[in-house]
Amino acid sequence: MKKRIGKLNLVSGSRKVFLLQAVAILLFMILSTSSPGAGEEVGPAYALVNCKIFPVSGPPVEKGTIIIRDGLIEALGYAEKIKIPEDAEIIEAGGLTAYPGLISAHTNLFLEIKQQEQPQTPDEFLSSFSQLSEPQEFPELQIFKELKPKKQTLESWHKIGVTTVVIAPGRGIFQGQSVVLNLNSDQPNQMVLKQPWALHINFTTERGIYPSSLMGTVAFIRQKFYDTLHYDLHKKKYLSSPVFLKRPEYDHFLEALIPFVVDKKPVVFQCNNQEDIKRALRLIEEFKLKGVLTGCNEAWRVADHLKGAGVPLLVTVDFRPATASIYSQQGEAVRKKAEAEVFPANAAHLQKENITFALTGFGLSESSFRKNIQAAIKAGLSPEAALKALTVEPARILGLERQLGTLEMGKIANLILTRGDLFDEKTKVIKVLVDGILFNYEEKGQ
Amino acid sequence: MKVVISRTILFIIFVLALLAPESYLLAAGNLLIKNATILPVSGPPIPGGEVLIIDGIIKQIGKNLSAPAGARVIEASGKYLIPGIIDTHTHLALSGTNEGTDAITPEVRMADVINADDPAIFTALTGGVTMVHTMHGSANVIGGVNVVLKLKWGQPSEKLVVKEAFPTLKFALGENVKQSNRVLLPGRPQRYPATRMGANAIIRRELLRAKDYMTQWERYEKLKNSKNPPRNLLPPRKDLRLETLADLLRGKLYARTHAYVATEMVEFLRLAKEFGFKVAALEHAWEAYKITDELLAAGVGISVFIDSWAYKMEAAEGIAYNAAYCTRRGILVSINSDSSERVRRLFNEAGKAVKYGLTQDEALKMITINAARQLGVDHLVGSIEVGKQADLALFDQHPMSAYTRCEMTIIEGDVYFDRQQILKNREEAAARKGGN
Repeated sequence: MKKRIGKLNLVSGSRKVFLLQAVAILLFMILSTSSPGAGEEVGPAYALVNCKIFPVSGPPVEKGTIIIRDGLIEALGYAEKIKIPEDAEIIEAGGLTAYPGLISAHTNLFLEIKQQEQPQTPDEFLSSFSQLSEPQEFPELQIFKELKPKKQTLESWHKIGVTTVVIAPGRGIFQGQSVVLNLNSDQPNQMVLKQPWALHINFTTERGIYPSSLMGTVAFIRQKFYDTLHYDLHKKKYLSSPVFLKRPEYDHFLEALIPFVVDKKPVVFQCNNQEDIKRALRLIEEFKLKGVLTGCNEAWRVADHLKGAGVPLLVTVDFRPATASIYSQQGEAVRKKAEAEVFPANAAHLQKENITFALTGFGLSESSFRKNIQAAIKAGLSPEAALKALTVEPARILGLERQLGTLEMGKIANLILTRGDLFDEKTKVIKVLVDGILFNYEEKGQ
Repeated sequence: MKVVISRTILFIIFVLALLAPESYLLAAGNLLIKNATILPVSGPPIPGGEVLIIDGIIKQIGKNLSAPAGARVIEASGKYLIPGIIDTHTHLALSGTNEGTDAITPEVRMADVINADDPAIFTALTGGVTMVHTMHGSANVIGGVNVVLKLKWGQPSEKLVVKEAFPTLKFALGENVKQSNRVLLPGRPQRYPATRMGANAIIRRELLRAKDYMTQWERYEKLKNSKNPPRNLLPPRKDLRLETLADLLRGKLYARTHAYVATEMVEFLRLAKEFGFKVAALEHAWEAYKITDELLAAGVGISVFIDSWAYKMEAAEGIAYNAAYCTRRGILVSINSDSSERVRRLFNEAGKAVKYGLTQDEALKMITINAARQLGVDHLVGSIEVGKQADLALFDQHPMSAYTRCEMTIIEGDVYFDRQQILKNREEAAARKGGN
């Protein structure tokens, strides 16, 4: 704001008083219109006082102050060391604990997933096969354009402490490109942290057309990657000297893959069982990709492969065994037991093997996400590691470690205030700040 | 000097400590099997024989052998020890069998979709099977690249793969590929080929394409390595489909061809001769007895069922004497299961050959050394000989008897199936349940 006033002063020197008045009016208008409306408060500065602080980047502060200005953390530390600016709105946070906002690096929020119509008659069933001959591949799809943010969804994720999400597409083998959002409003442009983030690939199949089997899918992916390398080489040669070289035929599919296969932007492989993890690692190795693995609820079974690979992991706390898993092939009792007792220990095993990972709620509702994080901790994951896996680790994997993931000066003001320990069952999220925008979720009667 | 020695000792201790989790397996790879009737396949039976296994390899065969410290001793009196059974044609331990949307899919690889969690691995172990050739299905004229696995139940998928085996490519002919037993879906055209001549033509077409592809690459390499390579020289597109076929033509891959009737087998052998590729075996080959001269001339063996003919038109002229007759004519014959269920009683299937004229020894060879030869691993497994890998199966009666049962299955000296142990575990589990 100061800068803007300065600029105006430079433009016109003599009519200072008038200008100042004009600026004041302008400021008032900006402030009153920039509020995204309906119950959310936006202020230029807040001072959160008397709260316990878990900065994640360092030791906890028992009684501290956090100053937030313009969506960023201006200062934080012990209460006695932090001077509260005059213009800051003071928020009494005694008895509350401040954590960095949590990050779920794989979700499908804000998407309207179309249910495929089920055939009703035998004739419809038979004709459904001939209609299914269009491939469901969308490597160029920007999921950002499909977002339909809803305030209600936003709030329900705030209430489990999540302030940042990756939203990824979910159809086909080459599914499209994901976006990283701050859950600060229902305005997609305002929410974007990174667009696009990564290309998402799933080891699934097409129905009725090639590839219709997993083996075909692997071959299909490899062929597309090789084609991208060739297409890119041809394009580059043509750009540098088109004489006596036929131009490459335009290919929208391969065009979409170039940033990921040639320029090494992240490629996220969905791994539903241990063999998917190995398949993805082989592809990452073969094509020297900047690979990321998501899903991975059987990751502990392939710890040896993951240790040396240095490939980031987005581990879901969805404990349901995949169909191909041994735990799904010995009857319902074994499957249920595995879901309750074996799979929750995945993260704990990885921690023991010194494999770093981020936790996600991929495939889960927000309430199961929270419940299952608690189950993972019960199964041996340390709360410290869990907190890191929901803050600094995902921030690092997303390449946002300088902006997000810890409470530090200069970072984005994404933080949550809870009453009680974050991972305690009874704990409630009381206040959420995303990009410095305050959301209140006071308990009833307060 | 002393310092050096003590340091060396420390280093050795350190290395041993690092190896600690592995050392369990090393110890498990040491076995002494006593008092068994050994049927080595490579020679006459040895009654009351002993086999000593160190680190998974057969070290000694004889009598009064002594076990090194830590080795497990298995008392096998009254039992028959045979080489681990090898099934040359299965589809187990795979996530998916066919990429059935196209008649030509050599770009797919079974090694990409191994599922070490498939319970069929254990089912097979209970029948003394230690190795399988697990293949693409027969939906396509040219299927995919197959893989040979050892059935190390509980081990990660990559440890199952037998790298020494022939790399093979699945071909198929006849009713399955021309889809003659399929109901056409509305709006879907009949897939090419719809006839046997079509199947033959499409193989020729694809192999000619592969030849052309190889020429393109040769031309490119030549230009690239010339003194003044053209400025705009662009390599050809890498085509995984044609790469595999080029490997077949280069002799790096062997064909394994699903075929039933005499004519299609002869036609396929002619194609192999024309294009100069190797055929490891013909699968099912119900009418092989009609073309033994052609098979002998081509040096191609067969992998067949024993007596389940006439389940479809093209199997109508199958005969139960096929395996026995071809064996007597000098053709390399193996018996396969092609089934995750029949695989556990492949010894019964082989045993039936005795009824059709083979000796017990010849019948046993069809599921051991003959199978190993067809897979290119007869230097490693397939018989009980010093220096070979200790893949073994222990039966309570002669394995070619109708009443026999597999008691124990061993791969590289590790016991992967032990009937008595499993029965004991089961009883204990039942007792625990009853106690509650």
